[in-house]
Amino acid sequence: MIRSMMLAAMTMVLVVGVANAQLIEKTALTLDGAKKIAAAAEAKAKAEGARVVIAVVDDSGNLLLLERLDDTQVASVNVGIDKARTAAIYRRPSKVFEDQVKNGRVSALALHGAVALQGGVPITVNGKVIGAIGVSGETPQQDEDIAVAGAAVAASFAKQ
Amino acid sequence: MKQILSTISMVTLLLASTSYAGSVSDKQGLTLDGAKKVIAATVAEAKRVNAPGGSIAVVDDGGNLLALERLDGSFAASANISIGKARTSALFKKPTKVFEDVIKGGRTSMVTLGGDLQNFTPLQGGIPLEWEGKVVGAIGVSGAASAQQDEELAIVGAKALDSMEMAGMVNGHSPLPVTYIENQKVAASFAKGAVLVGEDENMMHASHNYMVHASHRDKPGVVEIHEFDTDIVYVLKGSAQLITGGTPVGTKTIAPHEFRAPTVTGGETRTLVPGDVVIIPNGVPHWFKEVEAPFDYYVVKVR
Repeated sequence: MIRSMMLAAMTMVLVVGVANAQLIEKTALTLDGAKKIAAAAEAKAKAEGARVVIAVVDDSGNLLLLERLDDTQVASVNVGIDKARTAAIYRRPSKVFEDQVKNGRVSALALHGAVALQGGVPITVNGKVIGAIGVSGETPQQDEDIAVAGAAVAASFAKQ
Repeated sequence: MKQILSTISMVTLLLASTSYAGSVSDKQGLTLDGAKKVIAATVAEAKRVNAPGGSIAVVDDGGNLLALERLDGSFAASANISIGKARTSALFKKPTKVFEDVIKGGRTSMVTLGGDLQNFTPLQGGIPLEWEGKVVGAIGVSGAASAQQDEELAIVGAKALDSMEMAGMVNGHSPLPVTYIENQKVAASFAKGAVLVGEDENMMHASHNYMVHASHRDKPGVVEIHEFDTDIVYVLKGSAQLITGGTPVGTKTIAPHEFRAPTVTGGETRTLVPGDVVIIPNGVPHWFKEVEAPFDYYVVKVR
């Protein structure tokens, strides 16, 4: 009985040890964090009278939070989500792909799951991409500026 | 010249007003603020019923997304499903359960609607949002404990819009009555130790997420752990030794989310005297180990 308990205990230790080697620590964006990011972007948009959609996705590109400011064109909903997903799953601003296309690399349009449209920006904590924000509705530059203002809040999420 | 101009403008005005009457109409549109309040009421209800998660989407009357929140821990696909439910409900001005029931009832061909309608989702959990009798949008919920709970949460959200209409938008719910407890009743409650506010099944209501206790102790208590409630304690009379933290030994569940233990190992010890304030976050074991009676303390429990 005691032996079997010891065996069980040893097995548990082994399992835990193996599990540790097989797992990776990740920082995940919470809904609260997403709200803080969207609030900063919303404040900038309102200050500029910008009518935009603000989308925040997790590191897999799945939607966490979305806001469509009053009087924003409805088509921006999907464009905003697309921009955010692009920035999240490629871990770079979506502008990178728009620039590539502009500079002649038209094949960038074939990238799976990406839209080559400026306005998607990764959300980074301690150098890791934990999600992204996408903004759509105004000019490409203004969209991106609003997204950057939101993403900048993530600097305060890092553990001190 | 001046007269011609004014005449022309008169004619223009007349034309404008006649064409306005027939060709366009006024309608109310849901704002982002309204959508956020609907979501806030739904999230509060999800927490109250301990839903395992959920995505909540609010769309306008054209079925286009206005706002969405995915609660921590919800499965990722729930975001899109909630949008689909809200969109379907708005475009048909019906709860999506109607479609689920029709299909379940044998009219399987209904699923072909999905061909033309982007994101057609005939699944329970979408409810129209009405304002003054008109559908101004819809709410969709996905990812709670069941399709039934998805819909129940959506209904609470939809009602929040109604109550904004009735009561003029107060955080997504109607204003609560002011609570007044006169001093004799407060004193009587402290004499025996009693719940001042919140002793009913709705105590942790979405719009009522607190309890107030007039607590009284003559002897030591047991170790208490509240999974959800934070205790804010203000000592009025007597003295007690309070132990917080540590590892409870022999923990028992006495009610949902409430645990008790006879003793604890480790933890921090403090001696409380009148005027002291202690805030004990939810999940932290706490124990009035020694009491100098009568020990009276005012507790606000916040969920």
